[in-house]
Amino acid sequence: MLDNLGSNLKDALRKLAGKTVIDKAAVEELIKDLQRALLQADVNVKQVMQLSQTIRKRALDEQPPKGVTAREHVLRIVYEELVALVGKKVEVTLGKQVILMAGLQGSGKTTTTAKLARFFKKKGMRVAVICADTFRPGAYTQVKTLCDKVNVPCFGDPSEQDARKIVRDGLARIKEEVIIVDTQGRHALEDDLITEIIDLNEITNADHRWLVLDAALGQQAREQARRFHEAVNIDGVIITKMDGTAKGGGAMSAVAETESGIVFIGQGETVEDLEWFDPNSYISRLLGMGDLKALAERVQESIDEQDIDVNAMLSGRFTLRDMYRQLEAVNKMGPLKQVLSMLPLGGMELPAEALDVTAQKMSKYRVIMDSMTSVELDDPTVLNGSRIQRIARGAGAQLEEVRELIKYYKMMKRTFKGLKGGEKGMQRLMKKFGKMG
Amino acid sequence: MFKALKEKLFSARKKLEHSIEETTPEPARTPEEVPAESGSSPEVLAEKTQEPSLEKKTSPKFTDKVVSFVRDREFIISEKDVSGILDELEMGLLESDVAFSVTEAILSRIKSDLTGSKRKIGKSVDSVVRDALSEALLGVLGEGVDICSFIREHERPVKVLFTGVNGTGKTTSIAKVTRYLQNNGFSVVLGAGDTFRAGAIEQIDVHGGRLGVKVIQHQEGSDPTAVLFDTVEYARAHKIDVVLGDTAGRFHNRANLMNQLEKIRRIIKPDLIVYVDEAVAGNDAVIRAEEFQKSVGMDAIMLTKVDMDPKGGAAISVAYAVGKPLIFIGTGQGYDDIMAFNPRDVVNDLLGDA
Ligand SMILES: Nc1nc2c(ncn2[C@@H]2O[C@H](COP(=O)(O)OP(=O)(O)O)[C@@H](O)[C@H]2O)c(=O)[nH]1
Ligand SMILES: Nc1nc2c(ncn2[C@@H]2O[C@H](COP(=O)(O)OP(=O)(O)O)[C@@H](O)[C@H]2O)c(=O)[nH]1
Ligand SMILES: [Mg+2]
Ligand SMILES: [Mg+2]
Repeated sequence: MLDNLGSNLKDALRKLAGKTVIDKAAVEELIKDLQRALLQADVNVKQVMQLSQTIRKRALDEQPPKGVTAREHVLRIVYEELVALVGKKVEVTLGKQVILMAGLQGSGKTTTTAKLARFFKKKGMRVAVICADTFRPGAYTQVKTLCDKVNVPCFGDPSEQDARKIVRDGLARIKEEVIIVDTQGRHALEDDLITEIIDLNEITNADHRWLVLDAALGQQAREQARRFHEAVNIDGVIITKMDGTAKGGGAMSAVAETESGIVFIGQGETVEDLEWFDPNSYISRLLGMGDLKALAERVQESIDEQDIDVNAMLSGRFTLRDMYRQLEAVNKMGPLKQVLSMLPLGGMELPAEALDVTAQKMSKYRVIMDSMTSVELDDPTVLNGSRIQRIARGAGAQLEEVRELIKYYKMMKRTFKGLKGGEKGMQRLMKKFGKMG
Repeated sequence: MFKALKEKLFSARKKLEHSIEETTPEPARTPEEVPAESGSSPEVLAEKTQEPSLEKKTSPKFTDKVVSFVRDREFIISEKDVSGILDELEMGLLESDVAFSVTEAILSRIKSDLTGSKRKIGKSVDSVVRDALSEALLGVLGEGVDICSFIREHERPVKVLFTGVNGTGKTTSIAKVTRYLQNNGFSVVLGAGDTFRAGAIEQIDVHGGRLGVKVIQHQEGSDPTAVLFDTVEYARAHKIDVVLGDTAGRFHNRANLMNQLEKIRRIIKPDLIVYVDEAVAGNDAVIRAEEFQKSVGMDAIMLTKVDMDPKGGAAISVAYAVGKPLIFIGTGQGYDDIMAFNPRDVVNDLLGDA
C-alpha cells in the first residue's frame, strides 16, 4: 500500500539518528515526505493535513522519555498515527453469521464474496451465498460459477427483479452457518439503491456490513464511505485489487471515516487471492520493523511442519539442506519476495538476486541438489572443483549452473544471518514501545 | 462534471486577477524585488514540465522589466504575486482527484505562463488569467475525437477495441457506445472478448440482446483473439459498420495478460483503441494509463462512473498522462448515460462563472 512510504520515511528517520534533541527541520522534512507519500497513495487531502499537524505537534511538544533517542521518539509517533489511520484490527469470528457486502459498481464485491466463502469454508464452516444483485446482466451466473468452484451453495433467481424478496426467500431456505449476501453496486448519490441496502440490512439483520473498495479509489472514498456508513453502519472495509499498482489510500480514508478497520485485502482475480489484514504488523512492516508473526502464521497455515524450519532459517545455521526445504516451501508460501517482505529486515537492503529467482530456476536448483551427497548438503564448505563437476554431471546441468546455485546459497545464508540481528533489534524496539505506551 | 473544480478555478481566477491588478501600478521595480527562482515546487514536476521555452520565462530579468515598461508600456507579473493563490488551486486540484504529479505539472505551467509574461496594458487582466488557465487545461485535455466522423473516414468495418483494468466499465460502455452509434445510423456487432471472468459472456450477450445487435461469442476460457477475429469476419460478411471488441480487465503489471492484449492488437489491427477508466480512480489512474499506453497503446480514453464523482479530476490526470483525447464519458448504468466529450466546451464551461 504505502510501500514507497517505507523507504521515504526510513531516509527521513535516518536524519534523526543519533540526535538527542528533536531537530525541527528534520521533522518538517519527515512530514513533507509523509505527505507526499500519503497524497500519492490517495489518502484524503484533508486527512493528510490533519495527520501532519498532529505529528508535528506531538514530535515537537512531547518530551521523549529518558533513554529514548530522538529518532525512536519520532518513529513511535509516526507509527502510532499511521496505525490510527489504517484503523483498528477487525476480528473475524468463526461462528454463525450473516455478512452483507456493500460497495460501488465494479469494486469487486462478487469476486470477494467467493473469496470469503472459500475462506470460511477452509476454516471448517458451512457456508452459503445469496445473490441479491438483480441488476447487472450475468450477475447470477458470475457468482454461481465462482461458488461452484469452491463448492459452496449459491441461492438466487436471475428472473426475479426484487432483491429484497430473493434475500428473504434465501434466508428462509439456507441452513448454513455463514451466509454471505452479494449485492449490486451502488454509489452515494443513488438514493433508491441506498434505500435498498438499508432494507437488505434490516431483512438480514446482518452481523457484518463490509464495504468493498477498489485500491485505486481516490478522493471520493471518504464521501462514499460516509454515505454507506450512514445507511448501514459499516463495520469493516475490504480493499480489492491490491495486486495492481494502486496504494489503497482512499480505502484507508474510508476506514477512518467509518471508524472501522480493514478486514481483508484482495490480491487477484482468483478465489484464493485473499489476505487477512493486521494493521499493526502492516505498519511495522512499512517502517521496516518486520513482521515475524505474520510469517509464522503463514508458514503454519500453508506448510507441514517438517517442510521448513523457520528457526533454522533464522539461526544462521543454514545449510544447503535447509535451502532445499526452503525452496520447496516457497512454492507453497507464495513468491519469495512476499515471504521476505514479512521478515524483519530493518534498514537492510535485500539483494535483488535473492528475489528474482524464477520458479524454473528453483526447480533446476532442486535437481542439482538432488545429486549432492548428504555430506555436501549438510556442510557446503566441502564443495570443491571435482565435486562440482560430479554434481553437474549427475544433474545434467552446466558447471555454471552449479556455481550459480552455490553463489545463491551463500547469499541466502548471509541474508538470513542478517535477519537474526534484525529480530533482536525489533524486539528491543518493541520493548521500548511497550514501556512508553 | 467538474463542478467543484470549476468553483476552485473560478475563485483562483478572481484572486489572481485581483493580485495582478494590485501589482500593476508600479511596474518598475528595484533589482532586489526580482523574484527568486521557485525553490518550493516539488521535484516530481521537473521531468514533465521542462520545456525550454517555458524555462526562460520563469525569471524575468530586471532589464527586461525596465525595457518593457519604458518602451512597450507592458508589465511583468512576478511569481510572488500569484504563489499563494496557486497553492490554493493546488489543493483544489488534488481534492478533485487530479493526480499529484499532474497537479504539479499543471500548476507549474500556469505559473510559467503567468509569471514573467509580459502583458500589454490594454489587455484585460481577466483575459490574461483566463488565457493562462485555459491554455493549461486545453494543453492537458487535447483535441477531442468525434467517433462518427472517424467512422465515416475509415474503411468498414471500423474496428474498435476496448481495454482497461478490472471493473472500470468496459462492457457497459460498449453497450452504451452501441446505442450511441445506432442513434447515429451505424450498424454494430459485438465481440465477447472477455472469455476469462465468470459471467462475462452472458453479460455482454444480454446487452446485445436488449440492444438488438449480434454478439459473437465462444466458450469461457477460449482464446479472445479468435473470438474477435470471428467478429470482424462476421462484420465483413454482413456489411456491418462497426465492430466493438470487449476484452477482459487486466492489470498493467501482469506481463502475460498484457501480451495477450498485444496479440489481439497485432492480429485484429483495431482502428481505434479505447482505454476505459473510471472517474473515481485516484493517482493510480496515471500509472496504469501510462503502462497501457506503453505496452498496447491507445487512441482515445473513455471515462466512466462520472455520476459517482462529478469532480472529474481523473479525466485530467489520464488525458495528461498519455496525451490522448477523451472520447466519451459515462454517467450511469443506463444505455443513454453516455456523453461525447468536447474539450473546448468543457474548458469554456470550467472557466465560466461558477
Ligand atoms: N486483479 C484483481 N481483480 C479483481 C480483484 N477483485 C475483483 N477483481 C476483478 O474486478 C472486476 C470486478 O469485480 P466484481 O467482483 O465483478 O465486482 P462487483 O461489480 O463489485 O461485484 C472483475 O474483473 C474481477 O475479476 C482483485 O483483488 N484483483
Ligand atoms: N454508476 C455507474 N456505473 C457504471 C458505469 N459504467 C459501468 N458501471 C457499472 O460498473 C460495473 C462494472 O462494469 P463492467 O462494464 O462490467 O466493467 P468491466 O469489467 O470493465 O467490463 C457494473 O456494475 C456496471 O453497471 C457508469 O458510468 N456509472
Ligand atoms: Mg457483483
Ligand atoms: Mg467486462
